[in-house]
Amino acid sequence: MTQTNIKNKTFADLYSGTKDFLLPNIVRKKSTNLFDKIKLPNNKTENWRKFNSDSIFKHNYKLGKKLSVETKDLDSLSFFEPSGNYVILVNGFFHSGNVKNTDLNNNIFIGSLKDAQKTHSEIISGRLNTQNTETENYFSVLNDAYAKDGAFIYVPENVILDEPIYIMHFIQSDNGNIFSQNRNLIIAGKNTAFKIIHTYHSLSSDFSFNNSLTDIFADEKAQLEYYLFEGEGNTAAHVNNININSEKGSSFKSNIVTFCGSVVRNNIYAEFKNEFAEVNLQGIYMPDKEQTVDNFIEIKHAKPNCRSNQIFKGIIDNKAVAVFTGKVFVAKDAQKTDSAQSNQNLLLTDYARVHSRPQLEIYADDVVCSHGSTTGQLDNEALFYMKTRGIPEKRAKTMLMKAFLRDVTDKINVTGYREYVNFLISKRLKGQSPESLCSVKVCPSC
Amino acid sequence: MLKITDLKAEVDGKEILRGINLEVKPGEVHAIMGPNGSGKSTLASVLAGRDIFKVTGGKVEFKGKNLLNLIPEERSREGIFLAFQYPVEIPGVSITNFMRAAVDEHRKHKGFDPMNASQFLRYMKEKKALVELDAKLEGRAVNEGFSGGEKKKNEIFQMAMLEPDLAILDETDSGLDIDALKVVANGVNKLKTKENATIVITHYQRLLDYIVPDIIHVLYNGRIVKTGGRELALELEKYGYDEIKKEADKRF
Repeated sequence: MTQTNIKNKTFADLYSGTKDFLLPNIVRKKSTNLFDKIKLPNNKTENWRKFNSDSIFKHNYKLGKKLSVETKDLDSLSFFEPSGNYVILVNGFFHSGNVKNTDLNNNIFIGSLKDAQKTHSEIISGRLNTQNTETENYFSVLNDAYAKDGAFIYVPENVILDEPIYIMHFIQSDNGNIFSQNRNLIIAGKNTAFKIIHTYHSLSSDFSFNNSLTDIFADEKAQLEYYLFEGEGNTAAHVNNININSEKGSSFKSNIVTFCGSVVRNNIYAEFKNEFAEVNLQGIYMPDKEQTVDNFIEIKHAKPNCRSNQIFKGIIDNKAVAVFTGKVFVAKDAQKTDSAQSNQNLLLTDYARVHSRPQLEIYADDVVCSHGSTTGQLDNEALFYMKTRGIPEKRAKTMLMKAFLRDVTDKINVTGYREYVNFLISKRLKGQSPESLCSVKVCPSC
Repeated sequence: MLKITDLKAEVDGKEILRGINLEVKPGEVHAIMGPNGSGKSTLASVLAGRDIFKVTGGKVEFKGKNLLNLIPEERSREGIFLAFQYPVEIPGVSITNFMRAAVDEHRKHKGFDPMNASQFLRYMKEKKALVELDAKLEGRAVNEGFSGGEKKKNEIFQMAMLEPDLAILDETDSGLDIDALKVVANGVNKLKTKENATIVITHYQRLLDYIVPDIIHVLYNGRIVKTGGRELALELEKYGYDEIKKEADKRF
């Protein structure tokens, strides 16, 4: 297959002759029509102003195929437990999966969304096509129109899992630049409690563009911890749409580590569908070289008595760019909303840039909403103090940067994964390049 | 040990030290007193290597080396310790990790291997007891949320950990109640040996009731204008700085 320039709406060409799309044709027809109307975001598109689509669309791509991944490629991912619950996808296609045998036959599903459409159609049907004008954008519509597979995680009512469920995506090129999409659905049933570690990696150094969409449902009183790791290589672009639906009394806690990627856009939308729910979004990003990390977050307090909290911290090196937009919408009836937001950035060079935009839109009158954004350099007073104790500048800086990220990394509640993240951060802060750290094929501990 | 000759320094083009001469020998305790703005803290900062102060003249020899050629971390490893007037808060860095890094670097400089975790914790426990530091401080971030007294005690604890040849205590008594002052002074006295030296910088003579100096210098307008024994402090306590100021203004 030849590579196609996809800038000029040629996704239809790219996908022509292929079949087995995920969404029903009737929905897809709507999406493809809509896609023809939506413009590729540019610097005049609200919510996407700083998004650098040129760096993605200047390359030609071909569709990623259903390829295999070798188990030795997983060795460097020390947090991964091959005997645990997992699903592995390559270029957006299901590769392998495992559901750990438990005494309780709990009807947990961990596997391919495409496959699950046959076995779990009732559960999936109302939850696969839930995009609305608030979540719709160029990339979500593209995903609606052409996504073929992804992960499906279903944990039914009252199930509590101690061990995490892994969703691991790999980009693998057989030759040339790859475009791939994945569509994931996570359903945390009523009264469930579990953790997900959702990771993205690339196995090749060709350019790639990955368009992900994940719908998450936290049903009544569900407690879901969602850890997202974006570790695709320095030649990988990633747009990640994540939609969170919070039902009554549910708790959704997420932690997003954006470690690599040439251009990464996280488009996170959380909506409180009922009262007494909590959404806690934390993230760290460490763009280097000419990377761009763009976090766009929108939380809709549609119902009263809910809590949301955002803490995003970034260390921006070289000529990298970080963008943070944190939007909180509080509807007229959403009284007793408690919402906090904080974005803190450390700039390591004169060329590193940050665009931080907290936005509050409040229509209720009995709410507590706070927001704050800081951008600065390392504290020179602290650096001098450390030096007077004999600690050299480089070590002192590393200690201060780790300390800066610590309140976010410490909240990672899965030991092996937390250690993996801390290990990568340490290496990175000591000056190791993101290319070498993000290449799954190079064992980072070697 | 320390020999300062005609040291001049400025900040933002403003001359603060105008020719300091001072010699400190092993085993001595020197006090530097003086009115506000006389240059006491500047002298301490210059000796520690703070780069906002520009040295414009003179020299400083420390254990035979040209101190002014060393960067702050090298000065520390060579044996200079500055107890800060305002110790800096470092959120997210625990005292244990902070001291571990510092002690590691000092040992490396002396050609020793780093201590293992249990050796280090034992060492820390020993030094904590010596300076009567509360056990609960160690799990906390460096100086974060500490009271004034806790911050100063923490400085003395760090001094105990690093065992400097020359300790410079910059207004260590400021903001301390009498009980905290006693604990701090007691720590300093316990760390005193025949081989090391201490420079106590203070505005008031109160601290000198507890840390008894051998020699007292009065710093005024960037110069040492008077040097004497213990009795000088009592004289200053009684008559204030006015007489000395008048006399100095005539001379310079």
